[in-house]
Amino acid sequence: MTDALLQVEDLRVSFAVGRGEIRAVDGVSFSVSPGATLAIIGESGSGKTVCCRAIMGLLPARAAISGSARLRGGELIGLPEAELRMHRGSDIAMVFQDPARSLNPTMRAGAQIAEAIRTHRQVSKREAQAQAVELLRMVRMPLPERRFHEYPHQLSGGMRQRVMIAIALACRPKLLIADEATTALDVTTQAQIMELLLDLQQQMDMALIMISHDLGLAASYADEVVVLYAGKIVEQAAAVQLFGTSGAVRMRYTRALLDAIPHLERPAHALLPVVGGRPPDPTALPPGCAFAPRCSHAADDCLAKAPALLEHAAGHRWACWHPCENGTGSGN
Amino acid sequence: MAAPLPEVTIASAVPPPLPDLVNARQLRAQQLGRALRFWIPAGFLILMLFMCFVYPRIVSLPSPTNGNIIQASEPPFSPGHWLGTDQIGVDIFSQLLYGGQVAFEIATSVTIIGIVIGGTLGVVAGYFGGWLDPVISRVLDMLLAFPALVLALVLAEALGPSELHVIWALSAFSIPGFGRLARGATLTVRGLPFMTAARLSGTRRWRVIARHIVPNILPGIVTFSLLGYGITMILEGALDYLGYGIPAPEASWGSMIASGQLVLSAQPEYVLIPSITLLITVASLNLLSDALRERWGTR
Amino acid sequence: MSEQAQALLSARDVVQEFVVRQAGGVRGGVVHAVSGVSFDVMPGETLGVVGETGSGKSTLAQAILQAPRPKSGSVIFRGTDLTKLRGRKLLRARRHLQFVFQDPFSSLDPKWRVRSIIEEPLIAYRTGDRAARRKRVDELLDLVGLDPARYARRHPRELSGGQAQRVAIARAVALEPSLIICDEAVSSLDVLIQAQVLNLFERLRGELGLSYLFIAHDLALVKQVSDRVAVMYLGKLCEVGPGESVYQQPLHPYTQLLLDSIPSTEPGAARASVTIKGEPPSPIHPPSGCRFRTRCPRAADICASEAPPMRELASGHMVACHFPLAAPATPATSLMKEAAQ
Repeated sequence: MTDALLQVEDLRVSFAVGRGEIRAVDGVSFSVSPGATLAIIGESGSGKTVCCRAIMGLLPARAAISGSARLRGGELIGLPEAELRMHRGSDIAMVFQDPARSLNPTMRAGAQIAEAIRTHRQVSKREAQAQAVELLRMVRMPLPERRFHEYPHQLSGGMRQRVMIAIALACRPKLLIADEATTALDVTTQAQIMELLLDLQQQMDMALIMISHDLGLAASYADEVVVLYAGKIVEQAAAVQLFGTSGAVRMRYTRALLDAIPHLERPAHALLPVVGGRPPDPTALPPGCAFAPRCSHAADDCLAKAPALLEHAAGHRWACWHPCENGTGSGN
Repeated sequence: MAAPLPEVTIASAVPPPLPDLVNARQLRAQQLGRALRFWIPAGFLILMLFMCFVYPRIVSLPSPTNGNIIQASEPPFSPGHWLGTDQIGVDIFSQLLYGGQVAFEIATSVTIIGIVIGGTLGVVAGYFGGWLDPVISRVLDMLLAFPALVLALVLAEALGPSELHVIWALSAFSIPGFGRLARGATLTVRGLPFMTAARLSGTRRWRVIARHIVPNILPGIVTFSLLGYGITMILEGALDYLGYGIPAPEASWGSMIASGQLVLSAQPEYVLIPSITLLITVASLNLLSDALRERWGTR
Repeated sequence: MSEQAQALLSARDVVQEFVVRQAGGVRGGVVHAVSGVSFDVMPGETLGVVGETGSGKSTLAQAILQAPRPKSGSVIFRGTDLTKLRGRKLLRARRHLQFVFQDPFSSLDPKWRVRSIIEEPLIAYRTGDRAARRKRVDELLDLVGLDPARYARRHPRELSGGQAQRVAIARAVALEPSLIICDEAVSSLDVLIQAQVLNLFERLRGELGLSYLFIAHDLALVKQVSDRVAVMYLGKLCEVGPGESVYQQPLHPYTQLLLDSIPSTEPGAARASVTIKGEPPSPIHPPSGCRFRTRCPRAADICASEAPPMRELASGHMVACHFPLAAPATPATSLMKEAAQ
């Protein structure tokens, strides 16, 4: 673990809102090795986006951040903006969900990539343009020279996402964070983009953090998976330990997520094992386990005291007083 | 792909926006600020309306049109004349209040005509489309192209200056203004799914317009009308100043400025008093419009 | 055909096109959104329609509703051709056909309260007096799992996504329809909430005897909800058949590629070594002949010159392809079989 590329320890982010406090991220720790893929899974309000933005320093100044996030040993939390900007793009880059809104609609695609290049390196305009075309080729954009001159609205969703990736890769970052990067794309385009990301990872020895709500995506593409609920990690393990024939999901929430996803193998009109209720109100979290109010297996101890995230099996941590047996919820 | 496609966006669970980062003290300050921004201009306007319409009925004021030449050019705070009198002895305070009455009456009429006629035309053009839309839009464009002030001048010359003629002339300006606004807002709302849902529910068209479109475009119309109100007051003042508006000896702010202009260096208050009153009134209208827009957000 | 007489909804050769206007109103081209789609929905069944962006599935749904009317083709619902009706007659015929939109918040008037929203169709069709309507609204709210006392007076902005979608469903069910068209009705909801709403759809199906036309881009979702599945690509139907058939034995190369692109829950499993090539072509200039040929690994000359007709290759399972896939299982389907065991 000492040679981890990114080491996050006890990250906490909270916002003061009127009468209360929102603890968006409540003690999250994980690490990413060079060239590895980590998936951070959670629904809306789980804190997954806030977590990564805290690492990138993209949160507003009044967010209270504590804990540590070390990139190759160098602390990122609390770094002044000027130094953070040096890291962004050259060490860590981020790709967002909606390329239509992340790309400047009034600037040609190629120009935006070239601008990203010139932000971090002293190269001439011509040189930057040539590198931009090279990047477009690397992200498998069809007809890169032509696309270079096109505006974002002339490109399809998949192509725009490729441009975003090209911008992110402009300076060969060691870590790429993809925040729901394929969520708004078609299934076939999503598969293309994921293949592309994985190939680029190998080519450039780049680590990837995938933020998503899609467990299926995590299962297929990630090495390690972290599941967040209400700002805390509730389960953390290697993908093989969680999914597939040899996998065993333990925490009830992860089980609920897995069950709620439509599976091809299920017969038509099957009723899904449903978890009632809604995601917890971040200003009014219950004292015990945050998932207990919705959990069908909740007992008194679940409501009273929050379970700690402990390594119950080798490399597999979960936070649950009454976890699933054998990877299947009893009664499923 | 060169042309934009009617794409279906594949939406998914979008994370909620980050909450407004304020602590309790800042939150209270924000709420206080918001309340002040609404109530200060609103309060001033209520005061103005009270002074112009209610006060003269409960307190007897000197005549705003006839003055006693013996008491000409009294300075402010003279007995019986709070703000003094002008060169021919007419009480300034009375002129201010009665002039204000006229200003509010005209602006209100023009705005109401604009909303009723222009708004209706705009909604019809926006909702029904077809051939109605280009026809109505061209009519509105023609009205807009017509210089309202020139029209006022012509009317005044031909038919004699009067309050009614001023209202007609300025309506030529407000009708297309509201018309275009209403049309644009209607087009925006018309494309939203709940409109299709309403039609699918079987609701008749007129009911759809009245209960779905109007409530949703109303915030935009109200904020616009406040701004238009202010502009109308200024235009009306300009017409009075030029002598093509309210005929003398009726009191109006514009004519006060015109006559005060002659003695500007000696008694600047004749010009300043109506000017500042007009300024503060229009500023209050604008600020109120902003406060309402803030309160209603983008709804 | 006796089959057609029994079908609840029968669409034949529906065509919908849009004119693209460039700046200044100049005619820029025609988007061939739906080009000759035919299918049936039988009473009590759920037909799922799967397609990606640009497939025309949402346009098809709107064309069925006549909002706007399709350029050509017929839509026979409960024995009446909707394309031939106007005004009051269309409203009457369409009463039993309802729609649930993708985004619950923009499908509910933000200025209205929940009660008025659900009451609207009741008022429009003049069912009962005020008291009767009130009672019905309360019933409907209970039906979708929302407590009338707490929710009837709220505005949409005071609801969560799942709750708002339930209100939309309550409204759709108010007039006791026979068929509900769901256009990506759960796509904007969180996974767990999505499961709740899907279960609600199933429950209503049983309790009210509803049929559904369920449109989505998520294949697994569509398969789970549907009896039969139709796959659309660029305005045309590729394949229609019973859900199990289509997924176990896809006949059209596009269906196969869609299946291969689904992330499997077997980590490190044979990921699609055949990811689809290229970008989707523009609906303004669709490829000649078979529209999928530019991305199809099996394309040949005939695919460019002749559009393949829809043929029935297995019982109830139809495909429009010159070179449909043979019966033997391919890697993706064999994995599914393993996982199912």
